[in-house]
Amino acid sequence: MTTFEIRSGVDLHDVQGNIIKGYGRYGFPVARYVTYRINAAVAGRTFIKLLVPMLTTSVPWSESGVVEEGTKQPPSTTNVALTYEGLRRLGVPERSLLSFPDEFVMGMRARASILGDVGASAPKNWDPVWQTEDGQQPVHLLVTINAESSDALAQRYEEVGLAARAANDVAGDSAGVQQLAGHRSAGGADAAFQDGAALRDEHGTPGPKEHFGYTDGISDPYYKDSGSRSSNVIGGGKRLRDSSPATDAGWAPLATGELLLGHTDEALEYPAAPVPSTLSKNGTYLVYRKLHQNVATFDRYAASEAAKLSMEENLFRAKLVGRWPNGAPLASFPTEAEANAFNAKLEQAKADRFDETATPTQRAAATERHLELKEQQSGFDYREDIAGESCPVGAHSRRANPRGSLEFGQDHAFSTPGALVNRRRIARRGLPYGDSSDRSVDNGDHGIIFMAIGASINRQFEFVQQQWMNFGNDFRLGNDQDALLASWPDEDIDPLRARMTFEVDPDGMEVPKICTGIPQFVETRGGDYFFVPSLTALSAIARGAVDPT
Amino acid sequence: MSNVAGKAQALNVWTPTRRKGIENRIIFWVLPRFFKKKLRGLQTLSLIHYARWVIIAPKDFPNLGEGQPTEELRHHYECFLSNFNGNWDQYIDSFSMSLGTGLDMLWFKNVGFPNSVPIEPFHAYINANSIPTDHYYSAYPLAASNDVKAAQRVRDSLVTLAGSASGMSPKQFRQAYDDTIRKHQDDISRLDESVIVSLATEAVQNQARQEAF
Ligand code: HEM
Repeated sequence: MTTFEIRSGVDLHDVQGNIIKGYGRYGFPVARYVTYRINAAVAGRTFIKLLVPMLTTSVPWSESGVVEEGTKQPPSTTNVALTYEGLRRLGVPERSLLSFPDEFVMGMRARASILGDVGASAPKNWDPVWQTEDGQQPVHLLVTINAESSDALAQRYEEVGLAARAANDVAGDSAGVQQLAGHRSAGGADAAFQDGAALRDEHGTPGPKEHFGYTDGISDPYYKDSGSRSSNVIGGGKRLRDSSPATDAGWAPLATGELLLGHTDEALEYPAAPVPSTLSKNGTYLVYRKLHQNVATFDRYAASEAAKLSMEENLFRAKLVGRWPNGAPLASFPTEAEANAFNAKLEQAKADRFDETATPTQRAAATERHLELKEQQSGFDYREDIAGESCPVGAHSRRANPRGSLEFGQDHAFSTPGALVNRRRIARRGLPYGDSSDRSVDNGDHGIIFMAIGASINRQFEFVQQQWMNFGNDFRLGNDQDALLASWPDEDIDPLRARMTFEVDPDGMEVPKICTGIPQFVETRGGDYFFVPSLTALSAIARGAVDPT
Repeated sequence: MSNVAGKAQALNVWTPTRRKGIENRIIFWVLPRFFKKKLRGLQTLSLIHYARWVIIAPKDFPNLGEGQPTEELRHHYECFLSNFNGNWDQYIDSFSMSLGTGLDMLWFKNVGFPNSVPIEPFHAYINANSIPTDHYYSAYPLAASNDVKAAQRVRDSLVTLAGSASGMSPKQFRQAYDDTIRKHQDDISRLDESVIVSLATEAVQNQARQEAF
C-alpha cells in the first residue's frame, strides 16, 4: 500500500482555539454566540482584520509562563467562523467558492431532509435569526466568545461590538456589518445574541450537566498533533485490536486530517479542501445547532416508562444514553452501586486535586488519581457487550461512537475494529443554554448549543445524524431511531414506531424491555454550517488576498 | 432512470482486467477458501445487500447480429454488481475503509485500478467505470437485507411457536413466548421508509408522487 503520510506537526498558533479546546472543560462556564450579516465587503473585511488580533489559538495554556509550554490562559476567548454566503460577500473569488463541498455551500436549512429536521424541528420553526427571505443564508459571520465570568464575557462582547462599529466607520456604511438579532431567549424571540452557560449545581458551581440531568462533555476525540494530553488517547483515539481499551495500548490517535484540513486523514490522503491551500490549511468546519430540550416531557416519560417496565428510573435514564446520569459508562459499570462508587472516588479525587489547603505533594498525588479515574470514564468499548445487555445497542452514546462494535463480535471482520467509525468522529464543542429549574413546562428557554467540528460535515456530522441517530440499519436495528434525538413529522406519530429495546443476555432468562411511544424530546431551533479558517486564511480574507490561481 | 429502489441502491462497475482466464480462476477459487478473513467484512457490513464479481471473457460478450459490429476485445472484463443501503459516497467509504485489502485482490490487475486507499482516487475509479441502472425493482421497499434476514428468523420461530402452542399450559406458553422475544430481541425493530440519503432521489420521488395524482 502506498503511504502518503508526511510527518509534520501542526502549527497550533495558526489554528483557532475552539477547534482543539473544549473551552467548557477549561473553566470557561459562560459563552456568547454573536451572529452578523455582511452588507458591505469592505466593512466585513475590516471587521475580520480587527478581530484577528483578538482571536484565541490552539496553543496549549500553561501556568508556568515558559513560552515553550504554551501561553497563559486568558479570561475570555474569541473565535470567528463564516458561512458560504459570508465568504461570498467578503469577496472570496468564485473559483475558491466553487471548491467548497456541496453541503457547506447549501447550508443547514437546505439539508433539513438529510438531517431529519421535520415537524417541530422543521426550519420554519427555527429562531427568527435563521429565517431567510431571499433563500440565501441569513447569517454570514459568527463570533463565539467563551469566558471565565460574566464580566469578562461582557467586556469581550463590548470589544467585538467596537470592532464592528470601527469597521463600519472605515467603510462609511453604518450597516456594513450588521449584528443580527432574533435569537429566542427567556426574554422573547429577539435577543441580540445567543448566550450559553454551563448549568450550576445547588451551590451555584458550574458543572458538566445538561438539561436532562446527564453529565455531558466527557468523550472527546483525540487527534494526532493536537497538543492535548497524550493520555486522552484512551477512549478518544481509534480503537486498536488485541489490547485492552482501558490502556493507551488499546488506542491510537486519529489522523490530524480528520479534524483539520491540509493534513493527512484516515484514508492516508489530504481531505478534499477548498483552493488555494492557504485558504483551507489548518481550517475546518463547524456545525452550529440550537437544540431545544423538552425537559418536562423527558422527566414525565422517564418516570412513567420506567414504572411501566418495572425498572429503577435511574437505570432507565442510563439505558437511553449508555452512561449513568453521573457519567459512568454502562459498559464498565452495569449496576448503579458500581457507578456510584466509581463516581464518588472520581469526585473525591477531583476535590483533593483542587484543595487549596493540601500540600503540593498531596495535590500532585490527587491529580494523578483523578486523571487515572478519568481514563476509566473513557477507556471502554462494547466488545464484551455485543448483545447490549449492559449498554443497549441503540443507546445514544453507543450510536454516536460504536467504538469498534460494528464488527458485531466477528473479530477481524474488518482490517481494524474501528474501520467504520474512525472517519465518523466529531469533536463536540457546545454548551447548554437557558434555565430548566422549572421542570413542569417544555416551552421554557432551555437546550444545548450543539457544536460539532470536523474536516467533513457530510462524512462526519451528517452521517452520524442521518445514519446513526435517525436510522438503525448499521446497528441491525431496522428503522429504530435514537431515543433522545428522534424527530417526527407532525401528521402521523404512531406511538409504536418510536421505540427502543433494552437488550438482555441472549442466553439468560430475562426478557428484554421495550420502550414504546417515545415522545419527541429535542427540537432543532436553528443553526448553520460554518467554515473556521486558520489565522493565516483570515488575514488573507481580510486583505482580499485569496487567490486560487 | 434511477439507481434507487426502496432502501436499496444499485451499482454496476465494468472494468477491463489484465488478468488472464487462469489467473481469474485462481483468484476466485483461492479467495473464498483461503482468504475468507479478508472478505468476512462483506457479510458483516450492514449496508450491503449483496455484492458479486463476475469475469466475462471477450468471446462471451454477445453479438446480437442485426448489424452489431464485431468488436476486437483485448481484455477480459470484470463486472462488479452491488446492492446497498445509504448513498454512493457512504457506500464506497465503508467499502474501502473496512475491506481495503480484500478489494485490492478482487480488482488486482484491473486497468487503472488505483487501490482502495486513498479513497479519492478509488471514488473516481468506481465513478468513471459505473453504468447507470435502467430498471431497478425492490420487492420489499421498506426492507434492507438485515431486515429480510431478521424477518426470516422471526418467521421460523413464530411458526415453531404456533405449532407447539396448542398443547401448552398458559404458563408454558408465557415461557415459550418470552424465550422467543429474547431470542429475537433485535430482530423486531421498526420497519419503515428509508431515511433520505440523497436530496436528488427525494426530488425524483416527490415528482413521481405528484404525477401519480
Ligand atoms: C439535546 C441533544 C443532546 C443531548 C442531551 C446529548 C447528550 C449526550 C450525553 C449525555 C452524552 C454522554 C456524555 C459524553 O460521552 O460526553 C453524549 C455523548 C455523545 N453525543 Fe450527544 N447529546 C445530544 C445531541 C447529540 C447530537 C445531535 C449528536 C450528533 C449528531 C451527538 C453526538 C454525541 C457523541 C459523538 C457523543 C460521544 C460518544 C462517545 O464518544 O462515546 N449528541 N451525548
